[in-house]
Amino acid sequence: MTATQEPGVRQQPSSSAATGVTMTLIQAVTEAIRGELASDERVVVFGEDVGARGGVFLATAGLQAEFGSKRVFDTPLSEAAIVGAAVGMAVRGLRPIAEIQFADYIGPGFDQLASQAAKLRYRSGGQFTCPLVIRTPSGGGVKGGHHHSQSPEAYYCHTPGLKVVMPSTPYDAAGLLRAASRGDDPVMFFEPKRLYRAAKGEVPTEDYVVELGKAAIRQEGSDISLIGYGGVMPDVLKAAEALAGEGVSAEVIDLRSLVPWDRDTVLTSVAKTGRAVLVSESPRIGNFMGEVASVVQEEVFDSLLAPVIQVAGFDTPYPYVQDRIYLPGPTRIVRAAVKALTY
Amino acid sequence: MLEAFPAEPYRLLAEDGTLMAGASVTQSPAQLRELWQDMTVVREFDRKLITLLRQGRTTFYAQASGMEATQIGIARGIRAGHDWIWGYYRDHGIALGIGVPIEELVAQMLGANTDPNRGRQMPHHPGSRSRRFVSSSSSIANQVPPAAGMAMAQRYLGTDEVTICTFGDGATSEGDWHAGVNMAAVNDAPCLFICENNQWAISTAVHHQTRSESIHIKARAYGIPGYYVDGNDVLAVQQAVSTLTDQMRAGGGPVLLECLTYRVGSHSNADADAEKTYRSRDEVKSWTGRDPIVRLERFMASQGLEIGAEERAAEVTRIHSLIDSAVQKAEESGQPDWRIMFEDVYGDLPVHLRWQYDHLRAEQLAGQEGTR
Ligand SMILES: Cc1ncc(C[n+]2csc(CCOP(=O)(O)OP(=O)(O)O)c2C)c(N)n1
Repeated sequence: MTATQEPGVRQQPSSSAATGVTMTLIQAVTEAIRGELASDERVVVFGEDVGARGGVFLATAGLQAEFGSKRVFDTPLSEAAIVGAAVGMAVRGLRPIAEIQFADYIGPGFDQLASQAAKLRYRSGGQFTCPLVIRTPSGGGVKGGHHHSQSPEAYYCHTPGLKVVMPSTPYDAAGLLRAASRGDDPVMFFEPKRLYRAAKGEVPTEDYVVELGKAAIRQEGSDISLIGYGGVMPDVLKAAEALAGEGVSAEVIDLRSLVPWDRDTVLTSVAKTGRAVLVSESPRIGNFMGEVASVVQEEVFDSLLAPVIQVAGFDTPYPYVQDRIYLPGPTRIVRAAVKALTY
Repeated sequence: MLEAFPAEPYRLLAEDGTLMAGASVTQSPAQLRELWQDMTVVREFDRKLITLLRQGRTTFYAQASGMEATQIGIARGIRAGHDWIWGYYRDHGIALGIGVPIEELVAQMLGANTDPNRGRQMPHHPGSRSRRFVSSSSSIANQVPPAAGMAMAQRYLGTDEVTICTFGDGATSEGDWHAGVNMAAVNDAPCLFICENNQWAISTAVHHQTRSESIHIKARAYGIPGYYVDGNDVLAVQQAVSTLTDQMRAGGGPVLLECLTYRVGSHSNADADAEKTYRSRDEVKSWTGRDPIVRLERFMASQGLEIGAEERAAEVTRIHSLIDSAVQKAEESGQPDWRIMFEDVYGDLPVHLRWQYDHLRAEQLAGQEGTR
């Protein structure tokens, strides 16, 4: 597996842009799955409504027609069966890419993930592996209320044995999904659903992967590090722009992958800027950014000019009416940055 | 006679609205008219709310058109306000049928201030404490184990209430469904599990969902009786539900009832292109031809209770104006203030939420531009 980016390198599909195509994040997902199906017979794609319908968000649209219902198929409505079956297939040598219709609904499959997928390699002393990908739309901003808007990635980050990924650009979505599918461990692949169509970008037509565990520096800066992942990234960039208007140079980091996560890039950046604002939309208690904050203060305490500040979702179930207030938008991010800058 | 595990679904009315041989109908003319009105309310509710959706005044809708007989038959077969219901999102027909006010339902669908659920859930998740309809959850089948538990409590407390637990055919694939039915079975809990088998779970046809020849047959595995009713025959559904709930009140344990019906519209507004992507126009047409409201109308006509065109139009107008005024009230009530986001998470406001609330409040006051 080769990565096309080094950690901490400003990430744009530069050399391949000539052969790139502009697509949305969801189109990039579809293209990556199509490529995996085409190049590896072991890849199978399944889940609720992924077949004829092509998934409720149409991430698998057209794939059943192209690859047949042996490779792309609908399952009964059971997340436990979907995840558990993926484990069994993976152990026997397939490369399942399963879809859970909404991240909010993995619950019934949680035991299969936490007790089987995550632990099989370890408990068998490495005799068995579970190379599978669970793709799922997650996050808010779509007026879905709690059952269609949660960001439950922290539950999975807390389960050793699972890898956890969340892209925010079409380029990363395709590259990370390929890497996930080709790796030998179970990967939770969270897709920020509000960016499915909102995020557009150039994606190379040739095969490439984005290695798991490497952050992307979206913008270099020297005064403060703004660190996020997934659905919040466009708002983090907007906040950086607003700060630039005030003469503040913000460095923007997109983690892209949470387990493993890119400590080097984050620590290098915070050591340089001395300030960090951590942005995520999941509820604050126990969210992934708590770990980032902890590592930052443990490793680069001496460089810090201000406390590390978190901007997160609230510790309430995701509400329907207050959908937009719940999410950390640019204003909240800027306020947090100002607080750090004026500390 | 309602029998367990029949070969054919139980019905009182044939598809053309004639009485089945040997069947008798116990409803009075006034009761028949009420059933007709109730079903018409459900049908028109769908029409009006879809219009609101198209106008962008709400964000989600899941129709029950085609399933009116099942939902109204259930509502009218139980003791409304006495028995408890763990329903699912598509059950607005049951909610209407047991007397949840249209205003409450509309307010929920609009996320309005007057929504009893306080705008917490996306549209189409009814719930009413006073009518004993537990606020629905979007997660498929996760109401089934709690329904079993509630029925266990009813038995424990010595009440004569029963619990009604409804779900779609897709729900019967979830582990929770099996766990819940089994739990009720071994505890002899008075829970009436009702599958509103509308034959599709979004784009998944029931024969891709299960290899069982039917849903009610699954009851055998749990050692409880399984009943099978034509879900487009409101009289049969009502009779079955009242017979089975009476049995349970008299000490009987759980049963599974399958109502065979059809969702004529799309699953929700998210798959309005259903006929293009996963199901045939012919299939939909054939089920439109088995309209449960028309079936009852035909039967009523045969009893000298014909609903004339004028009467129908007047009824539709009456319903539309009820809904219109409910919409107006809901919209006038506004949307719940951002502050209530922090309420009802716990019984009291814990310190960390107080802290988050204070932060947000300061920000809201500082920048009237809001948090975006
Ligand atoms: C646990 C869970 N998984 C997936 C979904 C997404 N989803 C919503 S409705 C639905 C189909 C439900 O079909 P069925 O139970 O037959 O009820 P119907 O909507 O047809 O009345 C699915 C898969 C969900 N809500 N909950």
